[in-house]
Amino acid sequence: MTPVQITIEDVSGAPAGKVVKLIHIVGQLDESNVDEQAKSIYQVIETNPQGLSLVFDVTGLEYMNSKSIGYLTDWYSKVSAAGGKVVLASPRENILDILQVVGLTQLVNAYPSLDEAKAAVMQ
Amino acid sequence: MDQHPQQFEQTVAEAQAQVGQPVLIPLDEQPTQISITMPTQAYFQSGIRDFVVNLTKNMTGFSQQWAFRFQAVVDELCNNAIEHGSAVGQNIKVAMISTKNKSLEVIVEDTGTGKEKISAQQMAALLQERKQMVTAQYLGFRGRGLPKIVGEWTDEIIFEDVPGGGIRVKVKKYLRKEEDQVLSAPKKDPTHLVLQ
Repeated sequence: MTPVQITIEDVSGAPAGKVVKLIHIVGQLDESNVDEQAKSIYQVIETNPQGLSLVFDVTGLEYMNSKSIGYLTDWYSKVSAAGGKVVLASPRENILDILQVVGLTQLVNAYPSLDEAKAAVMQ
Repeated sequence: MDQHPQQFEQTVAEAQAQVGQPVLIPLDEQPTQISITMPTQAYFQSGIRDFVVNLTKNMTGFSQQWAFRFQAVVDELCNNAIEHGSAVGQNIKVAMISTKNKSLEVIVEDTGTGKEKISAQQMAALLQERKQMVTAQYLGFRGRGLPKIVGEWTDEIIFEDVPGGGIRVKVKKYLRKEEDQVLSAPKKDPTHLVLQ
């Protein structure tokens, strides 16, 4: 299995009724690991059915395949349907490039820094 | 019988006119082909991806941005061959053919023993169908790899039936320096971000 590490933490200071989770992804998301790794994100979504927003810190994300983009799209659909936001923080150029070619940058906003990404979901 | 030098030159000229002038291809312009046979396990794909990035950056004339794009193209093609085209315990074949500063071709071949037996003609039709389906607002889970990643980042896609079963996918990208320069320039499209 290709190495990847996903860690999830709470972001403090969220407005009342909102829950903001910061998800750090380090490594490569590919066919060998993405199904297993996606479970932890679905668990967060299921335990926070309303008011959840997700900030993906992808500074350390080196590669993502089309299936992992499919998962990201699904998370976006579920979270936005419940009134939340999904944003990316500091993606590498190759990650932004692949998200752009599939059209996902028109749905999920990307910010050059973690602070800017957090600020975008706190509004 | 001795031949007069003038007659000899005439004979050579006639022969050249018949067969054409010999064309000498400089060594660094000759295509380089590297072939890999890989078990049908996704575990091996990270190694292939590293190999593709390094080969593209160092041997083809394509930019680093294209190296990462080819990494994704090869990964998607290999994954399709493993997931749909070849059963567990089989192998897939991957070949890269680089003509430096001109083109890069990738060929991926499966065994046709996978869970979804499909012909080259059906694959070509599937590609066209998915190109229509996957728009910018598409929220489906699957179906982006072939039409968007492979389709958008290559110039040619050819599907061929392999005798004995299986499909061979050939994709080719031509190096266009002006395209690289445009890609490297600051992007003005507000829908995506430029990282400094």
